[in-house]
Amino acid sequence: MTPRPVGGSHGVFLVGWLVGSLLIGFILAPLVGLAATQSPEVLAAVAAMPDVREAIGLSLVASFLAAALASAAGVPLAYVLARGGFRGQSALAAFIDLPLAVPHTVAGIALLLVFGRRGMLGGPAEHLFGLRFWGSFAGVVVGMLFVSAPYTVNAARLGFEAVDPRLEQVARTLGFGPWRALATVTLPLAWRSVMIGMTLTFARAISEFAAVAILAYYPMTAPVKIYELFLEQGLSQSAAVALLLLVVSLALFLIFRLIAQGRVGAGSDR
Amino acid sequence: MTVPILEMERVAVRLGAFALRNVSLALAPSEILVLIGPNGAGKSVLLETIAGFHAPAAGCIRIAGRDATRLPPEQRRVGFMVQNYGLFPHLSVAANVGFAIRARRGAEGVDVGKLLERFGVAALAKRLPHDLSPGEKQRVALARALASRPTLFLFDEPFAVLDARTRATLRDELRQFLRDAKLAAIFVSHDQSDVHILADRVAVLHDGALQQVGSVDDVFSRPANRHVADSVGVENILSGAATRRLLPETPDATLCLRAEDVDVLPGDVRRESADGAIWLEAVVRDVVRLGPVARVTLDCGFPLVAALLRPEANGLSERTPATVRIPRASLHVLSGAGAPRD
Repeated sequence: MTPRPVGGSHGVFLVGWLVGSLLIGFILAPLVGLAATQSPEVLAAVAAMPDVREAIGLSLVASFLAAALASAAGVPLAYVLARGGFRGQSALAAFIDLPLAVPHTVAGIALLLVFGRRGMLGGPAEHLFGLRFWGSFAGVVVGMLFVSAPYTVNAARLGFEAVDPRLEQVARTLGFGPWRALATVTLPLAWRSVMIGMTLTFARAISEFAAVAILAYYPMTAPVKIYELFLEQGLSQSAAVALLLLVVSLALFLIFRLIAQGRVGAGSDR
Repeated sequence: MTVPILEMERVAVRLGAFALRNVSLALAPSEILVLIGPNGAGKSVLLETIAGFHAPAAGCIRIAGRDATRLPPEQRRVGFMVQNYGLFPHLSVAANVGFAIRARRGAEGVDVGKLLERFGVAALAKRLPHDLSPGEKQRVALARALASRPTLFLFDEPFAVLDARTRATLRDELRQFLRDAKLAAIFVSHDQSDVHILADRVAVLHDGALQQVGSVDDVFSRPANRHVADSVGVENILSGAATRRLLPETPDATLCLRAEDVDVLPGDVRRESADGAIWLEAVVRDVVRLGPVARVTLDCGFPLVAALLRPEANGLSERTPATVRIPRASLHVLSGAGAPRD
């Protein structure tokens, strides 16, 4: 249960609410403004445009894939970071956060140098496997993955850290091997954090513009499409697509959050 | 001869800067050993080594006669009880107990319902651990551990976070369970009352090395060195040169004397006694009540602590003169300066 303010701390809470309301208003105002300027008719018309639907669909699929890849590689890494106890652990944790600190145009250029046609990974991948990143769906996923993967790693690491390692030890002494103990005790207890991390990764991936636009302008994701519409047809068309993307991504974000919160969290033992 | 349930021979474990050194220990079937020592002594590391979480760099561990030195934890048949009992918070009581049955080959025939009934927690089968009282948690954890058919129990301070009353109740319950089940156990504790109530024998660990293993009386009254004396709470540890009047002459002696062995009489009533007890003139410096017993600090030319029942009723209060009587048999001399064992 959340403790209620007592003994004169009401004033602190009041100031907290007042100042916090400014921030809430600041976040809410552009979103409400965006929604208020659009009529349902324009929204329906834009939603019916094949290239818009294609861009939103591509954004959704690529973001799902980025979140899935981030969790496939990031959750094991998060476990190692939470439990490893090795030298350089905190340096590695800080390194994982690097994409959050790099301007995304810089990230896009760096990705282009590595995954581009003559990049050290892009060239061999195209030559050996026919896998092209520059201007392709794979490039979109790579751009999204680079900027969003830290969210999964960080949230999962916090989740694993919150699970008492002694529970795993107890599971081992009860007869479960290390993998089974991980799968039946630690992962279910850290699941909520992993889901929150994946949700944040998905949200960050679907909103990415710069890194994706530099590495793979085509096929167009929704943010790139909005940018192009803004340049070519002005604010009204681009705002309508922006609202559509906002509604779709917010709805998915809420669904994921609800799924994550529906699970039993770690550290609930009294 | 009965095979010991646990044998450790010169076991060494290195964990970063910390090391367990040359630990040799044997535990008879149904024996309860309480392991004590200061923080950082390596008590939990020792338990985890027995459970199989640290591979020894040297030495050998046998559990029920079988070499277990290289066996993983899941093959050792060791019940491991941690602080707050380590119930899985996402599983119901029945699922926690069922977990052990699923995990252990040979435990398939164990009936969860019957186990829960045996421990009086059948009505709680569907509850989650956070809905249980500490007593209920202990019973569920014991049922779960028993479901995996352990040959040996390890307890790592299971009562550490409990209030004194709950702790006493659960300790009695645990003692009864271990006695009834005739199971051997090693119990790590910081609380000396755990030693007196639970232990058949006590072991003292300091800085990764076992300092003394023996009966409770032996270790508490005749500590092997200064570290053991500190760990078992010897109140009077006196260092200096012993003169012939007290003991055989020793230039560098450390004397241990438990507070409960110090007799204090009001006034100056020194006399000779046939048992050769030592009589000292003293003044009461401080009286602190610790429940029914009071800790009385005396000045005999050196400070001395006595544990007395109702000292005020016997005319002993601050600044009153007194006579101290120390039975010679209760004095324990540490050789040298009480150097620890490696």
